Amino acid sequence: MLKTLIEKEIRDIIGSTKFAITFAVCALLIIMAFYTGATRHKLYVTHHQASQAEQLRSMEGITDWFDVEGTRLFLPPRPLASLISGISNDIGRTADVTGRGSIPTDDSRYNEDPLFAVFRFIDLDFVFTVILSLFAILLGYDAISGEKERGTLKLSFANAVSRSTYLAGKLLGAFIALTMAILIPIAIGIFLFLLMGISMTEEEWVRLLLIILIGLMSFGVFLSLSICVSAMTHRSANSFLVLLVVWVLCVHIVPRASVLLAARSVEVPSLDEISYKRAALNQQLSREFRESLKEGQASFLYSSSTIDGNVLMTLVDSLSQERSRKATEFSARLEEERANRQGVQEKIAFSIARISPVTSFSLASAALAGTSLELKDRFIEQAHDYQEKFAAFYEEKTGMSLSGGLRIQMSADGDTVGEPEKPQSIDPTEMPQFAFTEPELTEIVQTTVMDFGLLAVFTMLFFAGAFVSFLRYDVR
Amino acid sequence: MNIVYRTDAPALEAVNLTKRYDDDVLALDHVSFAIEPGQIYALLGGNGAGKTTAINLFLNFIEPTDGEARINGIVTHREPLKAKAHVAYVSENVMLYANFTAMQNLDFFARLGGQTSYTRSDYHDMLYRVGLAEEFHNKKLREFSKGMRQKCGIAIAMLKNAPAILLDEPTSGLDPKAGRDFIELLKSLKDENRAILMSTHDIFRAKEVADVVAIMNHGRLIMQKRASELAHQDLESLYMQYIGGHNNGEPSEGGTDAENAD
Repeated sequence: MLKTLIEKEIRDIIGSTKFAITFAVCALLIIMAFYTGATRHKLYVTHHQASQAEQLRSMEGITDWFDVEGTRLFLPPRPLASLISGISNDIGRTADVTGRGSIPTDDSRYNEDPLFAVFRFIDLDFVFTVILSLFAILLGYDAISGEKERGTLKLSFANAVSRSTYLAGKLLGAFIALTMAILIPIAIGIFLFLLMGISMTEEEWVRLLLIILIGLMSFGVFLSLSICVSAMTHRSANSFLVLLVVWVLCVHIVPRASVLLAARSVEVPSLDEISYKRAALNQQLSREFRESLKEGQASFLYSSSTIDGNVLMTLVDSLSQERSRKATEFSARLEEERANRQGVQEKIAFSIARISPVTSFSLASAALAGTSLELKDRFIEQAHDYQEKFAAFYEEKTGMSLSGGLRIQMSADGDTVGEPEKPQSIDPTEMPQFAFTEPELTEIVQTTVMDFGLLAVFTMLFFAGAFVSFLRYDVR
Repeated sequence: MNIVYRTDAPALEAVNLTKRYDDDVLALDHVSFAIEPGQIYALLGGNGAGKTTAINLFLNFIEPTDGEARINGIVTHREPLKAKAHVAYVSENVMLYANFTAMQNLDFFARLGGQTSYTRSDYHDMLYRVGLAEEFHNKKLREFSKGMRQKCGIAIAMLKNAPAILLDEPTSGLDPKAGRDFIELLKSLKDENRAILMSTHDIFRAKEVADVVAIMNHGRLIMQKRASELAHQDLESLYMQYIGGHNNGEPSEGGTDAENAD
């Protein structure tokens, strides 16, 4: 019986005009998402390689590591980020490592292409959250009420069909039909991706499959919701209206409202506020540094008639290190406080936003693509780790710290024997290499388990709701 | 393809069947009748008399306020799935899947009715039998007229091979030739020993084909006569006497009450 109902549903949906239109739009958008993703990724890889080469070129001719003021780190482009953009286009892709302390990021893609910041790229997140959720509603809003209006419900229930079997047939049939409509263009998109020379690791393929899986689950939620609402109404026009309101709430209102509510519940100091506090402390520390230096110089003048250069250098070094330590500690404290508050705010926002199944999909898919909110923190964290390695390398090469200081070069008077030795250029490849690493797959899967679970629970809840409503449904 | 009959119970039976809706309208008021295998029972009555309500109760589309509707002895509101396995139904306005062809519709509803062994040839034969020209067998239902849809509905009901058939205004929308063919079809179903409950406004066809004719008014069964009793009576006049003259269900003169056919 269930098989008969599923087959009928698939045949009925596939034969309808709205399915033909849905399939065409769906296929076009999905293939376009893969095509533009691949094109963008190739472009970003070229840009990335050019930027790295440019950095090496800019160090050509430098003969002393002392003249290297720092280095620039680049966030490498990843193929999945071009399919699920997440925040990858909003955050800075470069980080300047110049010394200790905070590392600001710069050069976001939207900064480069402001037009895309307005209209955004077409990616799988957009296709699943906006387009497919709407299509699930378009194809499910009249699942029950439409059958009643067409008069076919009455004839079906003149047979020995249980309501639960009928509903299951509706849901599974519609899900299979529409899954085919999604999977076919996805398969074409993947083929196109490969054809355009985009290579992915095994782990990235697994992540992509999980993204598609959670996309289908989110689609299933909207489908079961549509059937649920359809089983609560007797006119498909009413069902459509209700679902349209729910869709607007889920896709546009709930995620935005959650941010506002979280912002009201936890106050996070702004970056400007932190910069101001940091600048104020730096001023104070500079004043203290100058005063300490004056005092030090005075004591030298009183104690001896000649200034020992090495002792003075040691004094400057120790003072600057002390200043740097205080600045770093204060900065770290401010950042930690901000990060803690921001963490609480994010938790509240995500908890509220997860009322909408769209949020669960967006958060999980971004985590799987490595473009979630953690991307920025991860980049900065790894930049800090690199900063330490670079500082050690710099110190090894120059005998000085990157945080500043004073180098006094002294040359001896007198005759030189022969030609002065021509200084050798530095070899920039000696510098420690920055390799951005993504979290392990198991770690990512652990963070997405809740969203997978939530979507499964939503589907079951809506199906149960549909069943309860349908038990009392007048099929006449 | 075997029809299941129980010899110890009527194929269709209403026992004090009563339905009062939430708005307090009494749609059916203690109606009782029994239809044996091989018997055609015609329910006549004006709009709102309770004919369709009686059929809806047999199909468990609604639950009775009191009394029972039984199919092959199975109480429909207690064991609806079991009961519905023994009954086929044709509505006044047959609505099928517009995206499907006649053959596809027949296949789906036959399977839904538990008949999984039919072949395409069986479906063609059935569509011929109900008078649907071959050129329409593989056409989508959206191109069908009401009469053609009605023929498909009748074919679906026959494919179910159920011992009892419920027909709600089955000749509505059929042209005179199709109406004639339908009567012949009903006679052949009767010969196959099926019990048929038919609600209709068509007094003449009811008299022609029914073994028992009943008249309903305001939810009450006010007349029930065997065909032999009606042989020399003008059914139209009788109907007008019951319906037109007396809303309380009593005939104006020499009327027979609903127990007469028992």
